[in-house]
Amino acid sequence: MSKKIILISSDGQSFEVDEAVARECGTIKNAIEDKCTDNGIPLANVTSATLAKVIEYCKKHVEAAAKASAGDKDIYGSNEDIELKTWDDDFVKVDQPLLFDIILAANYLDVPGLLDLTCQTVADMMRGKTPDEIRTIFHIKKDYTPEEEAAVREENAWAFM
Amino acid sequence: MALALCDIPEDLQLRILSFLSPPEICSFACTSKRFASLCREDRKIWRVMCDQKWGKNTQIQKWGNGRIAYKLLYRTLNRLEDLIGFWRLCGRANPADSSPPLVFFEWGSSFVLGSRVLATNDDTYRVRKTPFLVLGISSEGRTENFLDLDGNHVPVDLSELERANLVPVDVNFMGSGHIMVEENPCLSKGSSSSSGEDEEGREDVVVTEMYTQLANRTSPGGDRRRKRKKEKERQARIKWEPEHFIKVSDFSPTFAKPLQGLWKGFCEGRRNMELYLVKYDEVGGVVCKKVEDLSLSRQTSPVFWTPNHVFMRSPFSVEEEMILDSRIHITPLHGEVHEQVVSGMLYMNSSYDPGEGRVWLYENGTFGFGFLRDQFITDLKRVALEDGCLADALDA
Repeated sequence: MSKKIILISSDGQSFEVDEAVARECGTIKNAIEDKCTDNGIPLANVTSATLAKVIEYCKKHVEAAAKASAGDKDIYGSNEDIELKTWDDDFVKVDQPLLFDIILAANYLDVPGLLDLTCQTVADMMRGKTPDEIRTIFHIKKDYTPEEEAAVREENAWAFM
Repeated sequence: MALALCDIPEDLQLRILSFLSPPEICSFACTSKRFASLCREDRKIWRVMCDQKWGKNTQIQKWGNGRIAYKLLYRTLNRLEDLIGFWRLCGRANPADSSPPLVFFEWGSSFVLGSRVLATNDDTYRVRKTPFLVLGISSEGRTENFLDLDGNHVPVDLSELERANLVPVDVNFMGSGHIMVEENPCLSKGSSSSSGEDEEGREDVVVTEMYTQLANRTSPGGDRRRKRKKEKERQARIKWEPEHFIKVSDFSPTFAKPLQGLWKGFCEGRRNMELYLVKYDEVGGVVCKKVEDLSLSRQTSPVFWTPNHVFMRSPFSVEEEMILDSRIHITPLHGEVHEQVVSGMLYMNSSYDPGEGRVWLYENGTFGFGFLRDQFITDLKRVALEDGCLADALDA
């Protein structure tokens, strides 16, 4: 039986997880190694809704890693896990506020895979969009006049050639 | 309070932006004054983008001794990235020991390193890697590339190379998968600046001309002599003729093309290990050539070829089983010998007469080949990469 770790969200909810799952979070891994986990680990910056999502991600990826090492690797060395990728794609289909909450939590808890996944998702939302469309999607306040905007565009176009 | 993009810390905003390409960042920069200013900062946005793309492969902050703009670094690394992998020599202009038939490019700490890939000749399947070409950038933002003709100098830092005896070269990207490496004599150490040389040369020529004119009034061709002399001087300075390299795009086998790629093995009668390249053509055929033959300008015969790449699967006929079982596997003196289970078989040909032979695909993904004219099998192993590095490599 693997050891259980208790994680406590900012709104006081307790989550019991396997140590292997908790270790997916770099900051928790350090706490485990520093042996300060006896009464549970309080996470002041993470709400219960967000923590639940982070734990869900870590659980799935620990399971997938266990399956990959137990099973047959393709003799050509390819480890492509299409099933996991599909799961990841569905996992990030959440509303914007929760998505940004997860980004902050993944950063605070040091879960690199989750941080990259969520940041990539936000980047994908911007791809191929005009500045106006980006503003709408991300509620960015327009503080340019059309002339100013044209000037900035020209300035940036040169900088990025 | 609902979180939005504007509310998260700047470093996380930059992290998101690092997944975008430069034109997309341009659009983002136009959304507001704050984001325009964020995208303007070289140290912030371009550094994060370099880190995102290449941070795992190389030490971003060491390139150019940490003194070049990150925007320039991004453009440099973007171009150099195309080099990573295996390249083969196309044609040969220099002696064999200074122009390698196969080069492997990989990321270094603050440079890209191209190494010769050679057989170790120690009776194992190991390959030997010696430094050949180093590409980097100076603190002033100039590209700096050096050839190590002896292959002795394992680079740790680009600055130390300036003190060693190496040949400065230009690497010209001639289009997809094709580079030309050319010595840059103006940067060669030991040669004075070109204008100085001209003057010296001119003076010598004037003196020679004078005596020649006096000796022989009708002496023509002063100009030609001058040009020939300059050309000779230039040739004397050049240590290395320009060479062309082509990228080996398919260096690994796949499920559909199990014979494809770079392989190594021992041939009958040859003590030393050979490197082979197997390619599939558009009409369903397979050709195997020795890597060292690929660089020769004259047409060389393939080791074997077959017009039909579809494998016959076991069980095989009694005759075929006999052909296989009676063979001697050529193995190196040192190294493990494994009994391989054959999962597929192909007929193939070579240019010898009689040229017929077989290719046997093994269950572990490697293969062996042999000809009906003799009793041997050459078992091949992959020239493979492990975590981006050459497997079974003995670093020089």
